[in-house]
Amino acid sequence: MKRVLIIARHEYWVNVRRPDFIIFTSLVPLLGIVALVVSLFFGRQAGGAIVRMFDGGSNVTAVVDRSGRFTPILPNFEEEYVTYSEEATARAALENAEVQRIVVVPETYPQDEDVMVITEGSRFSGSGTRGLRTFFISHLIEEIEDETLQARMIDPYDAQVEYVGEQGRASGGVAGEVLSFLVPFLFGMLLAVTIFVSSGYLVRSVAEEKSSRVIEIVLSSVTPQQLLAGKVLGLGALGLTQILVWIASAAGLSGGLVVLAGIMLPLLMRVEVFGLALLYYILGFGVYAVLIGAIGTLGSSFQESQQITGIFIFIAAIPMMLTGVIMTNPDAMVVRVLSWFPLTAPTTMMLRLPLAEVPWTDIAGSIALLVVTIPLVVWLGAKVFRLGMLMYGKRPGVLEIVRLLRHA
Amino acid sequence: MNDAVLSAQGLCKRYGGHVAVDELSFEVLQGEIFGLLGPNGAGKTSTIRILMDIFKADSGEVALLGGKPGENRERVGYLPEERGLYRDQKMLEVLVYLGRLKGVDGARAKRRALELLERVELDEWGGKRVKELSRGMQQKVQFIACLIHDPELLILDEPFQGLDPVNVELIKGLMRSLVSEGKTIVLSAHQMNLVEELCDRILLIDEGKALLYGSLKEIKRDFAPNSVRVRAPDLPCDLPGVAGREQQGDVSLLTLDGIGAQALLAELVAREVEVESFERAAVPLNDIFVAMVQGKARSE
Repeated sequence: MKRVLIIARHEYWVNVRRPDFIIFTSLVPLLGIVALVVSLFFGRQAGGAIVRMFDGGSNVTAVVDRSGRFTPILPNFEEEYVTYSEEATARAALENAEVQRIVVVPETYPQDEDVMVITEGSRFSGSGTRGLRTFFISHLIEEIEDETLQARMIDPYDAQVEYVGEQGRASGGVAGEVLSFLVPFLFGMLLAVTIFVSSGYLVRSVAEEKSSRVIEIVLSSVTPQQLLAGKVLGLGALGLTQILVWIASAAGLSGGLVVLAGIMLPLLMRVEVFGLALLYYILGFGVYAVLIGAIGTLGSSFQESQQITGIFIFIAAIPMMLTGVIMTNPDAMVVRVLSWFPLTAPTTMMLRLPLAEVPWTDIAGSIALLVVTIPLVVWLGAKVFRLGMLMYGKRPGVLEIVRLLRHA
Repeated sequence: MNDAVLSAQGLCKRYGGHVAVDELSFEVLQGEIFGLLGPNGAGKTSTIRILMDIFKADSGEVALLGGKPGENRERVGYLPEERGLYRDQKMLEVLVYLGRLKGVDGARAKRRALELLERVELDEWGGKRVKELSRGMQQKVQFIACLIHDPELLILDEPFQGLDPVNVELIKGLMRSLVSEGKTIVLSAHQMNLVEELCDRILLIDEGKALLYGSLKEIKRDFAPNSVRVRAPDLPCDLPGVAGREQQGDVSLLTLDGIGAQALLAELVAREVEVESFERAAVPLNDIFVAMVQGKARSE
């Protein structure tokens, strides 16, 4: 175990100092900063333009009251509503931007509900009838003496909605429901991205060790299992570092720390989903990293190794492609099969867990299979690793690998 | 020389239908330089990889420093034939890392690395990246990389490959001083003159099988033909028991039949022939090697 940690630390430190790692890792925060500066600069100008578009400068409404009901303007509307006796003078005031709009109330009101609104604003600005409802109601209920009743008639209720979850627990409203799906989904994405990023480093590391011929010197000190485990740990940590830097910078730049806290909150309410997602993440990473590290040794160059391992990244992403099926029918046969198959189990379960009450047999079964698979892939991986590392030149065919494995 | 540091009994290794190592048995004794020889593809590297636990033998037993292969990794230094170092890393860091993998703590590994770099005249290059070093320098660094942990047994597969004569002398000197410290060395090399110079005992293999095994002196004695090299300006032609005569410059190679070298010398002295030099003709190891490998090929 000590050797594994020495290898892991070495791999981590050597790679974390590489210029390309530093550049690639800081690319996301840098782009974020650029985007932020651009949006701050142009955002202010754009904002000003929008304000001007929606606000004509005056917010006074001219009232041409032919019904006589609104002539005495109530004191609480004095600032915003002015009466005009003639529509023509009101229109002149509108043209001079003294008023924002004109409301013409015909003689037939309130028997007939039609009123006319004349405004300069566009159809989409929404300012045409804004506030008019309150103005009308206030006049209509003027005769009611009970002030509380008046207030209620203007603003009948202020709803505090509480949503009750499936198991009769509060789950933090609609936002909570969305988040409790979103978080495991993001975990699934994170797994796929970590596998993608770390496997790149893994493949490069083994390809380099192979092409520089240092591998046999190393194998005289440690077993292939130790070397593979050390690489998986060290480069897994490297991939995670990169992703954490990206997440943290994204969250920090968009003021998203609050959002992040908001994401974490509903998680605390469904701790078991969070815990299982984490477990699937760790197990999934273990299986994939070992497989990719081992199979990466079979290529004779970095590019060739990357092509061979690309298939695993594709397999890891299959459940993400089937998100639609998993969402609409989380207990479908295909979903259950994907849940049990060790290579698709981690991502599938991360998507499935928050959506439905997953049968415990599926959870226990898939975890058990993953746990059994890991030592198996480590064993087989070490064999392939031992074989691939010492095989220079041509890439072997599948049949040749199987044949050689029997003798390795 | 006393106990066996390494012993192999009936080693076999097959790759598919190809037999790489075939019933190979040998011992390496404490404090000797043991030569493992053979033509290309004879099974030397496969044998060494089995000793180092990089490959598993199909059958046979190996006892290495009193344990199975792989049990005493930290007491063995290994210089593989296919070798290199992390090209983008600093030389000293690489040496310390390889030392730590052998179980030496960081500070000691660094001290030892600096010491060894001085010994191979590379002490000013420790901070350079490996790729900045010349090929010869890299060869020397690879050599000391397998000494960082002060191993009792060294297994060197083609250590002289790519070295100029000056550096060959340097490595030879280093090997001799290691042996004088009580270390044991298994040496696989193609340069027969170097093997002849360095090794106490040898194992010659071809197609996985042992052709010759034992003390180099005895092997050479067994192969020595009954012939002498004589340098004498007026060597008579009618010497008794001389079956053949070959002139090599001013030296005559005489093949004897029915007479010993000692008796011939007595005859020359009796005849008052002026003799400048007189020696038993030894067969170079190279000739023994070629004769054995070709002879085996012919007999099949």
